[in-house]
Amino acid sequence: MTLWLAGNGVVGSRVAKLCGGEVVALFDPRRDPLPEMDKGDSVVLAYPGRHRSLVEQCGLQGASVITLADDLNDTQQLFELDAIFAKNEASLVIGSGMSPGLSGLIARHLSSRLSRVDEIHIAMHGTAGPACARLHHRSLSGHSPGYVDGDWKEFHGGSGRELCWFPEPVGAVDCYRAESPLPILLHRTFPDVRRISSRRSATRRDRLTARLPMLRPPHAEGGVGALRIEVRGALGDGARETYVMGIAELVGSASAAVIAAMVTELNENGLPNGVVIPGAKDLPTNRLLHHVQEYGVRIQEFTGQPSD
Amino acid sequence: MRFARRLISALIMTIAAAGAIRVKGKGGTPPRHGGWRPVRIPPNDGGIE
Repeated sequence: MTLWLAGNGVVGSRVAKLCGGEVVALFDPRRDPLPEMDKGDSVVLAYPGRHRSLVEQCGLQGASVITLADDLNDTQQLFELDAIFAKNEASLVIGSGMSPGLSGLIARHLSSRLSRVDEIHIAMHGTAGPACARLHHRSLSGHSPGYVDGDWKEFHGGSGRELCWFPEPVGAVDCYRAESPLPILLHRTFPDVRRISSRRSATRRDRLTARLPMLRPPHAEGGVGALRIEVRGALGDGARETYVMGIAELVGSASAAVIAAMVTELNENGLPNGVVIPGAKDLPTNRLLHHVQEYGVRIQEFTGQPSD
Repeated sequence: MRFARRLISALIMTIAAAGAIRVKGKGGTPPRHGGWRPVRIPPNDGGIE
């Protein structure tokens, strides 16, 4: 079985390093023709842009695909490929980065402590490589879907400021709604949850210039990023409870760890056929989170008590 | 004149009360960091926990 890796940026290069034990073959779908793949091969798409047509071709060859799913429209089109992957007994993992990806896994882990989940709120800080920074810039001027009391609502990117507390050293950062497929993916995995929101951190300058081209080239890699997952619901006795978990890590490293965890699980135990969304009920969530930790990501839980 | 005297008295009393609360108060400053602890998630399942 070959692991095909498309993308050699911050995330792609770290995936290659983490999956060093696998047979990794690099290719660039923006330049090279699609290579011949065997049934059972895995393809990791760690480059920006739309992936639908490439994913379809890989699925028709019987290969499993793992995508970052950072484009809202493209992600919605990927759901249409479920039948192709199911027919070829392959998996299509949609959203395998820090968020979407790790956020869904942690949300599922926290939801297992509750008898009913009512709300899931995700906030993210930081970017990986330049492509991720450009996406963050665009997302603040896009449309942000949100699920409120059982209805979908379209919000403007850059609206809905909320001060979110992330693990140290990031701490408190203002976060805003932004264009992301995350609420749609979470709604598919948690159809009974009444409120789902997704926010990203931004500065005043980010919001002011969101509708303009980027004023200066993005950094080669952003600094320490962070993720915060808040799950609210009810315990078995009806008491209301809120659980919060998060990470503080380089976004590129965390995304690569999630992809590597998916590759490990795919090779060792297999994943369900067809579309797979991190956080789905039929996934071995704890085992995947364990793999993520093994690949160097430190998951933390908010206790409300000062640490010193 | 009487109104001004009352206004000044009220201001002085407010400042004195606020000062006393600030000096003698026990509220302290809320924590600005911490509150997180690392968790280890065991690979103990084949499905939902």
